[in-house]
Amino acid sequence: MTEDSQRNFRSVYYEKVGFRGVEEKKSLEILLKDDRLDVEKLCTFSQRFPLPSMYRALVWKVLLVFCPFPPPWVFVGILPPHHESHAQVMTYRKEQYSDVLHALEVIRFISDATPQVEVYLHMHRLESGKLPRSPSFPLEPEDEVFLAIAKAMEEMVEDSVDCYWVTRCFVNQLNNKYRDSLPQLPKAFEQYLNLEDSRLLSHLKTCSAVSRLPYDLWFKRCFAGCLPESSLQRQLFSGAVWDKVVSGSCKILVFVAVEILLTFKIKVMALNSAEKITKFLENIPQDSSDAIVSKAIDLWHKHCGTPVHSA
Amino acid sequence: MAQQANIGELLSMLDSPMLSVRDDVTAVFKENLSSDRGPMLVNTLVDYYLETSSQPVLHILTTLQEPHDKHLLDKMNEYMGKAASRLSTLLLLGHVVRLQPSWKHKLSQAPLLPSLLKCLKVDTDVVVLTTGVLVLITMLPMIPQSGKQHLHDFFDIFGRLSSWCLKKPGHVTEIYLVHLHASVYALFHRLYGMYPCNFVSFLRSHYSMKENLETFEEVVKDFSLRLDFGWKRLETHDVVIECAKISLDPTEASYEDGYSVSHQISARFPHRSADVTASPYVDTQNSYGPAASTPYPASRLPSSNTPGQLPRTLSSPSTRLLTEPPQAALWSPSVVCGMTTPPTSPGNVPPELSHPYSKVFGTAGGKGTPLGTPATSPPPAPLCHPDDYVHISLSQATATAPKKEERADSARPCLHRQHHLPNDRGLEELSGSKGSVTLSDLPGFLGDLASEEDSIEKDKEEAAISEELSEITTADAEPLVPRGGFDSPFYRDSLPGCPRKAHSAASGAQSASVNPEPLNSSLDKPGPDTPKQAFTPIDLPCGGASESPAGSRERQPSLETSILTPSPCKIPPQRGVGFGSGQPPPYDHLFEVALPKTAHHFVSKKTEELLKKAKGNAEEDYTPSASPVEVLDRLIQQGADAHSKELSRLSLPSKSVDWTHFGGSPPSDEIRTLRNQLLLLHNQLLYERFKRQQHALRNRRLLRKVIRAAALEERNAAMKDQLKLQEKDIQIWKVSLQKEQARYSQLQEQRDTVVTQLHSQIRQLQHDREEFYNQSQELQTKLVDCRNMIAELRVELKKANSKVCHTELLLSQVSQKLSNSESVQQQMEFLNRQLLVLGEVNELYLEQLQNKHSDTTKEVEMMKAAYRKELEKNRSHVLQQSQRLDTSQKRILELESHLAKKDHLLLEQKKYLEDVKLQARGQLQAAESRYEAQKRITQMFELEILDLYGRLEKDGLLKKLEEEKTEAAEAAEERLDCCNDGCSDSAPGHSEEAAGRNGEARPLRPGGARGSSGSRGGGGGSSGGSELSTPEKPPNQRAGPFGSRWDTAAGEPSTSIPATVGSLPSSKSFLGMKARELFRNKSESQCDEDGVTISSLSETLKTELGKDSSMEAKTPLSLDGPHPSPPNVDSVGQLRIMDYNEAHHEHS
Repeated sequence: MTEDSQRNFRSVYYEKVGFRGVEEKKSLEILLKDDRLDVEKLCTFSQRFPLPSMYRALVWKVLLVFCPFPPPWVFVGILPPHHESHAQVMTYRKEQYSDVLHALEVIRFISDATPQVEVYLHMHRLESGKLPRSPSFPLEPEDEVFLAIAKAMEEMVEDSVDCYWVTRCFVNQLNNKYRDSLPQLPKAFEQYLNLEDSRLLSHLKTCSAVSRLPYDLWFKRCFAGCLPESSLQRQLFSGAVWDKVVSGSCKILVFVAVEILLTFKIKVMALNSAEKITKFLENIPQDSSDAIVSKAIDLWHKHCGTPVHSA
Repeated sequence: MAQQANIGELLSMLDSPMLSVRDDVTAVFKENLSSDRGPMLVNTLVDYYLETSSQPVLHILTTLQEPHDKHLLDKMNEYMGKAASRLSTLLLLGHVVRLQPSWKHKLSQAPLLPSLLKCLKVDTDVVVLTTGVLVLITMLPMIPQSGKQHLHDFFDIFGRLSSWCLKKPGHVTEIYLVHLHASVYALFHRLYGMYPCNFVSFLRSHYSMKENLETFEEVVKDFSLRLDFGWKRLETHDVVIECAKISLDPTEASYEDGYSVSHQISARFPHRSADVTASPYVDTQNSYGPAASTPYPASRLPSSNTPGQLPRTLSSPSTRLLTEPPQAALWSPSVVCGMTTPPTSPGNVPPELSHPYSKVFGTAGGKGTPLGTPATSPPPAPLCHPDDYVHISLSQATATAPKKEERADSARPCLHRQHHLPNDRGLEELSGSKGSVTLSDLPGFLGDLASEEDSIEKDKEEAAISEELSEITTADAEPLVPRGGFDSPFYRDSLPGCPRKAHSAASGAQSASVNPEPLNSSLDKPGPDTPKQAFTPIDLPCGGASESPAGSRERQPSLETSILTPSPCKIPPQRGVGFGSGQPPPYDHLFEVALPKTAHHFVSKKTEELLKKAKGNAEEDYTPSASPVEVLDRLIQQGADAHSKELSRLSLPSKSVDWTHFGGSPPSDEIRTLRNQLLLLHNQLLYERFKRQQHALRNRRLLRKVIRAAALEERNAAMKDQLKLQEKDIQIWKVSLQKEQARYSQLQEQRDTVVTQLHSQIRQLQHDREEFYNQSQELQTKLVDCRNMIAELRVELKKANSKVCHTELLLSQVSQKLSNSESVQQQMEFLNRQLLVLGEVNELYLEQLQNKHSDTTKEVEMMKAAYRKELEKNRSHVLQQSQRLDTSQKRILELESHLAKKDHLLLEQKKYLEDVKLQARGQLQAAESRYEAQKRITQMFELEILDLYGRLEKDGLLKKLEEEKTEAAEAAEERLDCCNDGCSDSAPGHSEEAAGRNGEARPLRPGGARGSSGSRGGGGGSSGGSELSTPEKPPNQRAGPFGSRWDTAAGEPSTSIPATVGSLPSSKSFLGMKARELFRNKSESQCDEDGVTISSLSETLKTELGKDSSMEAKTPLSLDGPHPSPPNVDSVGQLRIMDYNEAHHEHS
């Protein structure tokens, strides 16, 4: 209620009329002003609205839980909810980052020439105790996922420390929190596609492309690498989608996938072989990505209901 | 000027005999006129026309379009001022006006009109006057409204001219006067028709002073009541007809708006038309005719429609005419004036023959045919009663006789002249015949005129005159009757003249001698007649003749005769058509009957000529300009020209005394007179033709109306049929309605009975209900009573209960009191006893008191005081206590509130604590993660180091093995030296060690290793520790990869923990402190224990070291030989090296 009273009374009408995001930034700022950040509210907020890019890193850092420790160490994202300790914690993080980086340098695992993304990967592997004996060790599939996500993240989060942490935590979240739900997504995808456009699904089935759709790209990498690199579209796209993933809903991935198919329905219907469809879907044109995201969010709200503030 | 010349040439070309040239030039002129707006061309044309009276120019002038009208009028006005050109100008104006140009409304504004009026007022030339009057009459209906401003001019002109007729100023020829009379008469009609009120008032004022015009006044005075018409919205022909409608002249009056019935009748019996007019026919006309303007009586319609009945109607007595019209025509002025006398003139019959309305009605077909073939028309005649027929013919005969006489008077001079005029086409005979025709015709003419006069006169006069006239003309009239189709007076006028012409042609003198009689008679007729003469419908015979097809066809040969009559000539169209179509005239045989050879000759010649002309026309291009009417005009003019030429040539031998006898004019004048007369006749002809055209226009309109009326009637009939059908339906419905009503009444009765029954039942039931209601009410009142009683009883019960309670309470109180009182009694008894005892005691004390009285009082007082003091003390004490209580209570309250606050604070603190905990936990977690990372880092480092070591060792081992072999030999030598040196010190030890060596060496190794490191931690100092730890670690770390847990748990807490603790980032930092706290217990206790053990161990080790060193020095020797296993060798070697160094160091 506090932030509601401070919000512009017109905001309700803005939303009714269809202006999105007019008041969201303000309300987010209000939320972020609280001394002890309300993680739940932030979750709900980012589920309902797209986050402004300037606050995205901060919110993600608060929301992303990185430590998979047993009970005494519950909660806590990269940043604690207390503003006071932010600086302290951040120095820890930085120091940790630099320590690990230094260690890797010391053992000559990385050099200045090593791409930043690989640095992140080595650091991650070091921290999770899975560092191979040699940097030239062949990559595991999960490492590939990490690299893809890190690459996308790098474009969105400028600070390398933040980027490392956020990437790591994001991957952690995927591996821990969504461990059980991610394998269910392809089924859900089929179900919703059937609801939205059964003809398209049947077309895919006749092409036997259903099982060969880029599920890994969609659900494991969360569309990282779906769009061409270092484009604004990609930033916006991944940002908007990952907002929802970070705030605890991996189902959005299904709807994005469905919406991609609906948007490129004509092209997909024109393609007859599973390979072509997969190939096309792996490199979708970037110009309609905005619309896809907004439509996907609408679709998501339509099928799963708008998340309501629980407070 | 060139243009002028050019125009002159063109004008001359206009009269060229070549038709094509003429047409071309006409077209050129018209083009010029349409392009040129200037007055010059028009002026030239007018000049030229006035000079030559060229027909083409006239044609051009009469068809002038809008912008040129002004020039034309101006030019004419100019010429009007000149006396010489006045007549021709008037003629031109007449031509123009008769064609009704589109700009005719401008005539009233043009200066021409005033100058025309002025001319009429001033001029003394009869010809000019007559022409002018005719033009004026023609013009009046065209400018009905705007002409009003000249009203008085009109009236003045009328007055002047009418008086002229009487006074005959100057040397005006009688012949001209007749024309003037006719035109004035027409003017009278026109003026009276158009402006009756004004005109009548004018007549009154103008003629009041003249006795001889009193009758006149009488005639018109009733009309003064008539209202002016709204001429403005009427067409020209409407005005003409309206004038005719109220005309005093029945011939004119009867023309308009005719109902086909009358026309049909007249058409049916054309030969009897004269009779018919005098008989029922007129009756019907009066009753239906618009002349009387009586409503069309429906009852008469069938009778008049059915041809079978016609004779009967026709045969009804002529007296009916006298009686009926006044009844039917209530407002008709002619009726009021007693002028309703049916016109005996045959003239009013023929005109109706041409009425097209006859086609509308069923009878038209049957009656239409006679129109074309008058010769075959007689059939119906036999249907008439012979008596009637005779009577009719007789009356007709009597009527016609005087006409001839009178007409002869006017026509004679000109006829005479014509007689001598040879036709330029070689028709001398014919011209002669013409003359004879007119002469022979005169009696008929006179008869006509007389009859007209008669019709105007009173009945008595009429009777007398007719008698008189009949005497004169019986001879003529009677033979005509049997002639059937040609017995109409009209034919007598024209045709009968023809046979006579034969014998009269030869003797002009004879005819001349015949003529004077009638002339004289007419002239000798009483004065009063003359004014009437002015009203004589001069046009009657000819009007009739022209309208009658029979007449028109028959009259063709006798064209010239008809010209003599001042009526408009309607023949030409028919004739032109007839010749144009090349048909042989169907009336040829009639001529043979009617005329002897001459007539036949004339007719055949004429037809030939005209056929030629027509053929020529057809051959050329059928020039539309040569319309039949124009052809006739031209013919007349040419005839006139020929006449004049011939006359000029002739020596006029026949101009004898006869001529001068009645005309009194010299022969030279005769020519002019005749010419003028011809001109006048032509004028009149044109005027009458114009009138006929207006009639035709109107007829067409009326026909349309009739058609519409017929359609409406048919519709009415159809609607009537429908109405009848509907009425039948209605009757059927009525019957059924009655039935239904009967049924309905039956049902109602039934219903009534049922209703009454039900009503009675209802009443009974209501009664019952009321009873029940009363009963229930009673019961209810009882119930209420009972309830009240119950309530009261309850209240009483309550009261009683309360009383009982009260009493019980009292009882208990009383019992208590009782018990109290009992106890009190007991007490009292006890007290009494005490009292008794006390009394006794008192007595005793009293006794004692009495004994020791003095001491006791003092003591008692003292005691009393003491007691009082004590009491006060106690009281104050109590007060203090209570105060303290209060304060303490307050304090308690305060403390409680404090407690609550503290609780709250505590809660807040707890929350805060929680928060802080959370915060701390966050930070801690970060630290933890960092720690974890550090651990990973160290692990990695260790791994790396181990790896490196592994590599190093792999390299170094081979070297060492070689080195050791050499060294071993050296060492053996050295050892021998050493042993020798140190035998004194450690000989017993060596011996012990050596003794226990085999048994103790294996168990000791780990301990020794521990001991060595521990000793280093405890005694070796921190400076050396860090340095030495690296070389020391490998053995530990080497165990790590095999089992790190063992390594940490059992391995070396003493070594690893201090190292970790010491390596914590900073003990000052929060995390560091926390971490220390967390790990304190364990580490401290371990440290303590370790410390103890270490110290003890170090001590034991110290002692052992010496043994070890000595022993180890020995072992290589012993071990060198067998070489059990490489790892053992490795470790042993390593240990030995280390020990050696250490021992060496310590020792040194």
